[in-house]
Amino acid sequence: MAEDLVLDTAIRDWVLIPLSVVMVLIGILRYFVSKLMRSSQVPDPKIVKEGQVIVRARNLRAGANFIPPKSFRSRRVYFSNEENGLLFVPKGQAQNAQAQMFSDPNMAMDMMKKNLSMIIPQTLTFAWVNFFFSGFVAAKIPFPLTQRFRSMLQNGIDLSTVDVSYVSSRSWYFLNLFGLRGLFSLILGEENATDDTQRMMQMSGFGFDPTKSLGAEKDGLDIVQHEWALPKFEHRAEAVLKKLIR
Amino acid sequence: MAGHSDSNSSEKKSSEAMNDVPTFSAENLQNNMKVIYYSRTFMSIIGGVLAGILGFTGFMGFVLYLLVMAITSIGLIAKAKFSVHAYFDSWNRIILDGFMGGLMSFVLFWTFAYDIVHIF
Repeated sequence: MAEDLVLDTAIRDWVLIPLSVVMVLIGILRYFVSKLMRSSQVPDPKIVKEGQVIVRARNLRAGANFIPPKSFRSRRVYFSNEENGLLFVPKGQAQNAQAQMFSDPNMAMDMMKKNLSMIIPQTLTFAWVNFFFSGFVAAKIPFPLTQRFRSMLQNGIDLSTVDVSYVSSRSWYFLNLFGLRGLFSLILGEENATDDTQRMMQMSGFGFDPTKSLGAEKDGLDIVQHEWALPKFEHRAEAVLKKLIR
Repeated sequence: MAGHSDSNSSEKKSSEAMNDVPTFSAENLQNNMKVIYYSRTFMSIIGGVLAGILGFTGFMGFVLYLLVMAITSIGLIAKAKFSVHAYFDSWNRIILDGFMGGLMSFVLFWTFAYDIVHIF
């Protein structure tokens, strides 16, 4: 059953190209709409403070080897001291912050808005594709697949002898969905709200950020072994100067 | 190729010249990663259209994808003047990053071009 089907040119003109064009346009529309709808939320000062503390601790960890041992140790104690160290969060307090985050109406609304603006266009487009473009072969994918993909790819086509490479328009929709992500990142610049994984990372970094990462930073800081780099600098300076002289 | 000079606008030095105590400027590193991502995406789209027009099917198409990725890697390394460690923190970044994302775009444009040219 490897004969080539000849497909009508009208399918190409009226199915493939419009579907791709519509998806690109919807993506652009969604990007601008989400930009407009993004409400400017006043950042909570407590959250910002905690975030800055984390950044400071991270910088300390990164630059630990460039300061003398004693000052590194004193800084480390400042952060991870049991009683009033900045990074130390007693367990009871940790749970509160999370619960408060999720019951805060503003943030809940924001997350809902973001979710909706992602899901609705996808659902609508999928329903549109199913309604108008079902029941015929839409495209041929250039590589062979096994029979198990038949039910997934050839959704509206009821002939079982047709090669699995000939797919219905639903699979063309999915192919577009995944493949246009790269295109969007090129034409829309870095920040585009079309990538699902980015959205999920944003969502998860929301309520859990202050509490868990404080503990993580504290652990990281405790682990660091201080190895002062200054003695080695003399050797390096010697090497560099030698190179210059030659 | 025009694609390279377009997206490789600036690759900034992301590590100081200290070889034994490496420090990285996170912002520059991120910028360089973005440059790699854009280059790969662009090249995979071009490669997809190329594969479709030339009529590659099956395995040959994926071989072409690997070839395009290799050319992109070599181009990026050449642009970094072969001192990869001054710009990135590990070899894997410049070679493997963006591979999967580029694959989806490649397959999309490959299918598109192949269908338009050969089937219809």
